[in-house]
Amino acid sequence: MRWLRPLVAAILLLVGLAAAAVLVSRSRGRSTAPVEVPGTPEPTPVPASMTLFFPGPDLALHRERRLVAERPPTTQRCAAVVLEELLAGSQEGWASPFTWPASVDAVFVTSAGNVVADISPPPAGQVQGTASEVGLIYSAVNSLVASCPGVARVQLLFGGRQVESFGHLDLSRPLAPRPDLVAP
Amino acid sequence: MPIRWLTAFLAAVVAAPLMAVTVVTPSRTAEVFSRADLVDLLEILRLTGAEVEFAPAAGSYTARRAGHEVQFTPGGSLAVVDGRLQPLPGPIRSLEGHTVGNLAVASALLAPLGWSLQGDVGSGLTLAQAGDAAPVTLVVVREGGATVVVASGPPALPRARPASGGLALLYQSPVRLAAPVAPEGGLGGASIDGNTLTLQLVPGWEVAASYPLDDPPRFVVRLASAFPTGEAEVQRSGPLVVIDPGHGGEDQGAQGAGAVLEKSVTLAVARLTAERLRAAGIEVRLTREGDETVALRDRTALANRLRADAFVSIHANASPARGARGAETYYMSADASDPQAAAAAERENAPAETTTLGLILWDLAHVANLNASARLAREIQDRLNVVHGIAARGVKQAPFVVLTGATMPAALVEIGFLSHPEEGQLVSQPDTQGRIADALAAGILAFLRNAPPPAPAEQP
Repeated sequence: MRWLRPLVAAILLLVGLAAAAVLVSRSRGRSTAPVEVPGTPEPTPVPASMTLFFPGPDLALHRERRLVAERPPTTQRCAAVVLEELLAGSQEGWASPFTWPASVDAVFVTSAGNVVADISPPPAGQVQGTASEVGLIYSAVNSLVASCPGVARVQLLFGGRQVESFGHLDLSRPLAPRPDLVAP
Repeated sequence: MPIRWLTAFLAAVVAAPLMAVTVVTPSRTAEVFSRADLVDLLEILRLTGAEVEFAPAAGSYTARRAGHEVQFTPGGSLAVVDGRLQPLPGPIRSLEGHTVGNLAVASALLAPLGWSLQGDVGSGLTLAQAGDAAPVTLVVVREGGATVVVASGPPALPRARPASGGLALLYQSPVRLAAPVAPEGGLGGASIDGNTLTLQLVPGWEVAASYPLDDPPRFVVRLASAFPTGEAEVQRSGPLVVIDPGHGGEDQGAQGAGAVLEKSVTLAVARLTAERLRAAGIEVRLTREGDETVALRDRTALANRLRADAFVSIHANASPARGARGAETYYMSADASDPQAAAAAERENAPAETTTLGLILWDLAHVANLNASARLAREIQDRLNVVHGIAARGVKQAPFVVLTGATMPAALVEIGFLSHPEEGQLVSQPDTQGRIADALAAGILAFLRNAPPPAPAEQP
């Protein structure tokens, strides 16, 4: 077995060199993405109140306050939380604007304060009628603008794609909130 | 045991080069983080000289170069390119502290900044400035009295702007025509200037509609004669109303109990309303006479070409809210008077030249129509409230595609809820449809009676 010792030593040396190369490669390739500073104390979670809107049988949008455990630290996170709360449905018995098991797939916030949110698409023919469409779109638009400071307009994408319309509303551009659709 | 060590050694030796990929640029060679087919997007963007910033509030990166800007977010598969949203060919991920994507994603982020990526992860990548113009293929089709032009080729869709004597398609990088284009129908020719492809129109033709399509990316321009059958040239003795039976053809609209289809209900009510208006001496045109598919923008375009005095789109409603019933009447939201929508509407309707003054005048005309549209909507809604026995339901505003760009008072009427078990049955019955048509016709006539006369033509 003595004949094996030089071979083992050579292999160990080469493995060591390969590992060192990997470490150098990793450290050189690392980007300048945000870096957590060690020793920063964990911030205490601050609960936050959000204003959501759900469609009612009177065809108006109805306010519903929703407490979340932690104030979202960014506009993007705030928008995602608002949409997730909307998708979870009303706690006061209003209709759910999203009539399919939807999910929030991506959220952007542009420098102009427009939220662009990508929602999983509805099955074909699922969104029918102006009231369904208005309830779906403006529950999201009004909720996001009311709950996330700095948000001015909202554009919803479905399945990662810009949808011109479900047959009625023009969804090809960011929409401003419509307070006139809210129940008095 | 030695065999196991040897295997581990060989795996390490083989894997090590795949941790980074060599990227050659015109000025340098660099090693960039890579895993399988994924590459570090930020490093590649920086190699082009782009300035890459992270915005903590938005959680997104922005790369800027040569006046162009690309914004993207780890975890997403979308980018905002010069303010326009663009789907990416794959997701952007965070991996071992790097922001990575596949080569198609990297190419999609680089293209707006004027760079292209060639090669593969295994053999190395080359970054080159995209100097070569992308070919644009134009297909021209005659469709009835219209001419349809389809522009395809470049991966990014263009923006359309009215141009002198035609329509300009503005691409993100230089383009060239894949083949010469012969005049056909309403298309007089096409010319290229850098990033801009200009479609020249034959005099007397105008852009009836223009819209993008995906998979593959195409831009469609529909040209129509300004006076297709001489209708608009004819001096009318009385007002003309265009009635739009919502949906039709493949687009069935909402479906009620008993397989009642919205497209059938709207056509029946539109025909009955037209009968009543004609009996009152009003000229009426329907946007569809049968069970046909008609694009939303083509419906408004017809009313614009005919210079109608009013446009009414008839629909039947549906709602997830139990118990929702009654009629609703909408008119265009004030949003549509913002510059972006005005520009979009001008693209759809106006053969006018691209001038700021033209845009402002269009905007003013549109805002002026908002008041008249509100009155038209109220006249209709008040009468439909009586039909449905609902005391007070006002009119509403929202940005409807079918109302965008209408150059006359326009309203969209939801005559009742197909999703309501009783109302859905009622609106499908001929006698209820007759009462709804009575209300619609009476509302339109009341509007026309009180409409101010058209402004007299200016004397030279």
